[in-house]
Amino acid sequence: MIHRLLSASIYLLSSLIGISAFLAPFFSQGQGSSASNAPWLLSVVIGLCFLGLLFEVQGPGLSAKSVALLGVLVSINSLLRFAEVAIPGPGGFTPIFLLIILSGYVFGGQIGFLMGAMTLFVSAIITGGVGPWLPYQMICAAWVGLSAPLVQPLAKLLGGPNSKGELFSLIIFGIAWGFIYGAIMNIWFWPYSQGDARYYWSAGISLAETLKRYAAFYLLTSFVWDTFGAIGNALLLGLFGAPVLRTLRRFRRRLDFDYQPTWSQA
Amino acid sequence: MIHPIAWLAWLAAVSAALSATRNPLHLTLVLLAIACVGSANTQQRERMLRIPPIPFTTFLVLFSALINALTVHHGAHQLLHLPNWLPLLGGPITAEALIYGGLNGLTLSGIFFAFQIAQHATPTSAIVSMIPRAFYPLAVVTTIAITFVPTTLKQAQHIREAQAIRGHKLDRLRDWLPMLMPLLIGGLERAFALAEAMAARGFAADTAGQQGQRGHAQISIALACLLAGWLLILVWAYDSSGLLLMLLGSLLMGYNFWRISKNSPHTRYRRIPWQHRDSAIILGALVTLLLFLAPLPALDRSALSFYPYPSLYWPSFDPRLAFGSLGLLWPLFSLRGNP
Repeated sequence: MIHRLLSASIYLLSSLIGISAFLAPFFSQGQGSSASNAPWLLSVVIGLCFLGLLFEVQGPGLSAKSVALLGVLVSINSLLRFAEVAIPGPGGFTPIFLLIILSGYVFGGQIGFLMGAMTLFVSAIITGGVGPWLPYQMICAAWVGLSAPLVQPLAKLLGGPNSKGELFSLIIFGIAWGFIYGAIMNIWFWPYSQGDARYYWSAGISLAETLKRYAAFYLLTSFVWDTFGAIGNALLLGLFGAPVLRTLRRFRRRLDFDYQPTWSQA
Repeated sequence: MIHPIAWLAWLAAVSAALSATRNPLHLTLVLLAIACVGSANTQQRERMLRIPPIPFTTFLVLFSALINALTVHHGAHQLLHLPNWLPLLGGPITAEALIYGGLNGLTLSGIFFAFQIAQHATPTSAIVSMIPRAFYPLAVVTTIAITFVPTTLKQAQHIREAQAIRGHKLDRLRDWLPMLMPLLIGGLERAFALAEAMAARGFAADTAGQQGQRGHAQISIALACLLAGWLLILVWAYDSSGLLLMLLGSLLMGYNFWRISKNSPHTRYRRIPWQHRDSAIILGALVTLLLFLAPLPALDRSALSFYPYPSLYWPSFDPRLAFGSLGLLWPLFSLRGNP
């Protein structure tokens, strides 16, 4: 009971920190000497919150089977990212979210979270993409996998497993994350950029005005780019979603075994 | 081989120096130090980086300068004027915005290549071994994933050849399904075999025991401190108390990871020795960090900043700060001295 409460508190606090860190500029009044160090502080806060969450996620329930499954799935997904780096798709199109979403949906939020984070980490090692941007990419991709099980109620409502309704709800989820991923990744630098007052944040403006300016900035700079990402997610989930789901479910059943050691007198 | 911790210190110093200055003179010195280390490193590594530095930097500088000039319409030296009805882009295009954007591009390029140099100089096994032992299940996942990449790649080639013999072409997106499915099923079969082998050997049997309630409680308290400190700083502007709380949270989290790491025994088959040159690199990085960031009363850091708005001016130069950039050159001597 205590363990569950502590675990829940880590999830809750990490989520609150993550949300407040990304949305902090919308509520900040811009005063205080630390305002100028906000990007550094943001990196520290996000990094530590991510480590705390990773520590919790890797704990209970991560058996040898999950570790082996994750290792192989991350390997396949990293290869897909490697292919994407070699032959870039249009705009924000990337094939990596297909497996992150589907494995999170089939195996649960824990595996989805780790799948997102580890895919970005391993593919960065393979493609030479390690840099200060990596923790942000890892945490955003991890959120994609973590939130994938949220589709299940809608999928059940639209027909349940292996139905067209299930695929449709996953496509909607993929489209939504195509835009949300870009919107979140913009927020960590947008408040600290300078430019036309109609599109950039400045200290002291109201929440409504901040949202209005961010929406204008997003529509002008990122919307088209992210649209390619959203369409790509929809296409990949629509074309490959059903067979990949069937395969993942089959292996989930096969991996549902447990070793019970027995002792003999001999 | 330079120790990965020395590379980490070097990267921290490079990142700090590049973030602290936009002065083109000091920025050039830092970039030159990175380029020198990179050139020595590439001589070791087949004389090439995966991404060619000069074309990539040129692209990044031009792209950044263009984007900044098109979106920031401030500055005294007007080059041309775009119609005002154009959203975001309408207004004067100024030399100041162009130059400031170019400097941002140079900074980005410097950070990118510094990380690439350090990554190329460090074997993958050394990168994986740097994952704290508190995260050993994740280190195992990383190791499996990296180990399986060549196998997966080979399997992808076999599937591609087999499909090509059957006359399958990869023209449209849907044509990739006969490639993806065998790759996924083959990979999952390997995962199944690996899981059986690992479970039979009792892998991760004591994960929960190692973390325990104490670890979870400490992480919860650390996160609560971080959240409280963060909100104090950014919402209510209580800087000192907020920073103190954040520091407390960070220390508590660090202590917890250290404690769990200490209780997670592991075997190293190949230990990277710590040498004098690694200490020299860390010393050099400390000199850079000290001169670029530490609050030294005798040092005026105004020369580091360069803000060309509202009108361009000639940047100032401080030889003491230039000396700080030299601290970044230490890996060069180590790489040249130990081919």
